[in-house]
Amino acid sequence: MKLYNISLQSLRRRKAKTFFLIIGLILSVASVVTLLTVSKNVNQSIAANLDEFGANIIITPKTDDISINYAGMSINNVSYNNNELHTNDVEKIRTIKNKDNISIVAPKLLSVEIINPANGTGDKNVLITGVRFNDEIRLKKWWNVTGKIPSKGNEVLIGSEVKKKLGLKLNEWLKIRDNDFIVSGILDATGSQEDVMIFMDLNESQKLLDKKDKVSLIEVAALCYDCPIEEIVQQTSSVLPGANVTPIKQTIESKMTAMHRFEHFSFGISAVILIISMLIVFTNVNASVTERTKEIGIFLAVGFRKSHVMQIILFEVITASLLAALIGYVIGFLASRFIIPVLTMDESTRIVYDYSLMIFSVGFSLAVGFIASIYPAVKATRLDPTTAFRSL
Amino acid sequence: MSLIEINNLTKKYKSANESVLAVNDISLSIGQNEFVTLLGQSGSGKSTLLTMLGGLAEPTSGNIVVDGINIYELPSKSIADYRREYIGFVFQSFQLIPYLTVEENIFLPLSISDLTNPEQKQLVNQILEKVHLEKKGKRLINELSGGEQQRVAIARALVNDPLIILADEPTGNLDSKTSEEIMKIFCEFNDAEKTIVMVTHNTGFKKYSHRSIELSDGRLIN
Ligand SMILES: Nc1ncnc2c1ncn2[C@@H]1O[C@H](COP(=O)(O)OP(=O)(O)O)[C@@H](O)[C@H]1O
Ligand SMILES: [Mg+2]
Repeated sequence: MKLYNISLQSLRRRKAKTFFLIIGLILSVASVVTLLTVSKNVNQSIAANLDEFGANIIITPKTDDISINYAGMSINNVSYNNNELHTNDVEKIRTIKNKDNISIVAPKLLSVEIINPANGTGDKNVLITGVRFNDEIRLKKWWNVTGKIPSKGNEVLIGSEVKKKLGLKLNEWLKIRDNDFIVSGILDATGSQEDVMIFMDLNESQKLLDKKDKVSLIEVAALCYDCPIEEIVQQTSSVLPGANVTPIKQTIESKMTAMHRFEHFSFGISAVILIISMLIVFTNVNASVTERTKEIGIFLAVGFRKSHVMQIILFEVITASLLAALIGYVIGFLASRFIIPVLTMDESTRIVYDYSLMIFSVGFSLAVGFIASIYPAVKATRLDPTTAFRSL
Repeated sequence: MSLIEINNLTKKYKSANESVLAVNDISLSIGQNEFVTLLGQSGSGKSTLLTMLGGLAEPTSGNIVVDGINIYELPSKSIADYRREYIGFVFQSFQLIPYLTVEENIFLPLSISDLTNPEQKQLVNQILEKVHLEKKGKRLINELSGGEQQRVAIARALVNDPLIILADEPTGNLDSKTSEEIMKIFCEFNDAEKTIVMVTHNTGFKKYSHRSIELSDGRLIN
C-alpha cells in the first residue's frame, strides 16, 4: 500500500463527504464557466447587433468646404464633386488589418434630380440615392417597406414624404432624366431624411447620373466590441488617403455604455456565485475538522511524518478538484449551449468557446479545494495528537 | 543497560486559568523484553506518561532515552521515524481508520516504508494469522466486534516489528472474556521479545506482567 491508496480509499468510502466536496466544486466551476461563456457570447451578439444598427463610421471625400450634414449623412459633395470616392474604395476597406471587424459597407451615390411622375402630379426636385440594397437593408434594420425592396435596375424604393408629395402609389411609373422607373416599395416614415429620398440600385444610378464608378459617401458598420474604433478609423484612412473617415462618436459612445452596463452585470453575478459556492465548500470541509484531527492523530501515532499526512490530504484534494473541474467544465459547456441561443434569440448563433476557461476551471477548482482542505488539515496537524485521543 | 530510561520527567498542562502537573518528576527504567503494567486512578497521569514515551508529546522538563537515543533532542522528522521503528501504539478505543479495511489499517505503518507491495502483503498476512483474523482482512472496521477491532489495532502496532508496545487501557472497552484473549496475545508477543508498557485499571492483569507500577497525581508510588 502507498500513501495515495489511503487518499483514494478516503474519497471512495466516505461517499457523503466526497460528494459534497465535489458537488460544491462542480457547482462553482459549472456556474462560472456557464456565466463567462454565456456573457461573452451574449455580449458579442448584442455588440454585433448594436454595431450593425446603423453606421458607426462615415467616409466622405476630402473637401475644403464646410460639410453639409443632415442627421449623420454628409451631403456636401452633392454639388462639388471634384474629389470623389470610387467603387473600388469599397473593396479597399475590406483589406485593412482589422478587416474581420468590418461588418457592413454601404456605398452611396447622391444627387438631386427632377422627378416626373407618370400620374401627372408635376415635376419636383428629389434627392436620388444609389445604394446596394443587400447592404443597405442590413444596415437600416429599422426599415419597414410596403411592397418589396427593388431587385431590378428599373425599380425604386421611395420615402413616405416622396409618396405624399408626388402622390405616388406602388407599381406606378416615374421618369428621371428621361428614364422610366417603377415604384416597387414604399418606405414607412422613419423621421429622417430617408423620408424625402428615392432609393435605386447603385449601378443603375451611376449609369443614370453618368458617374461611372463614382460614390458620394460610404457608410460602414464596424464591430468594435474587441477593437477600438479609433484603430479601425485610422487603418481605413491609410487605405483611403483621399477620404475623410469619421467615427460617429455619439452612436458609438451610447452603444458602449449599454455594453459596459451588461458586462458589469454579468461580472457582478459571477462574483456572487463564486462567493456562495466557496462558502458551500468551506462549510462542508470545516465540519470535518474533528474527524480529520482524529485521523491525523492516528497517522502520527503509527509513525507518519507531517509531510506524509500532507501528501495524503493533498492527493485527496487534487483528485477531487480535478474531477470536479472536468465535470464542472463539461456541465458549464453544455449549459451554455442551451442558454446562449435562448438569450440571443438566435438559434444559429455560432458559440465561441473560450478554451482558456478549461485552464481557469482547473486552477479555480484546485484553489478552492486547496484553501478549503488545507486550512483544516494544518489546523489539525498543529494540535497535540494526544488531544485527539483524549476526547475519544 | 535498560532499554528505556526516564529521567525526572515532568509534564505541565497550562490552560487559561489553571495549570495541571500531569506527570511530576518521574524517573524510571524499563528493561529489554520487560512487561510493565501501569496502574492508577483516572487523571493520575498514565496516558500522559505513555504518550511522552511514544514520542507524541514533548515533556515540560526531564528526558527519555530509548535504546541510547534521547528522543526529544531529535528533530521532529526523526521523532516520527522513532515512533515508526521503535513504538507500536494500542489505544482503549482502538483508533482504527473507518474508511480502510482491516488489511489496509494494518498496512498503514508499512505504507511509508521502502517495502514492495508483495513484501508488505507477506508481513500483513503473517500478523493477521498471529491475531487470528486471517479470514477478515477484507472487512471494513465497523463490521467487526470490539475484540476483533482491538486485535486489528494490535496487528497494526506490531506489523513493522517495533521493539516496544505502548498500550493504553487496551481492554477498557472489552468484556472480561475478550479481555483475557487480548491479554494472551500481549503475552505471546512479550514471549517474542517485545517490551510492553500497558496502562490498565484491572489489577487482575498484574499477574501477566513482570512488574507493576502505580501512579498517583503524576508521581510514582512506592
Ligand atoms: N491535553 C491536555 N490538556 C490539559 N490537561 C490535560 C491534557 N491531557 C491530560 N490533562 C490532564 O492531566 C491529568 C492527567 O491526565 P491523563 O494523563 O489523561 O490521566 P490518566 O490517563 O491517568 O487518566 C488530568 O488531570 C488531565 O485532566
Ligand atoms: Mg488515560
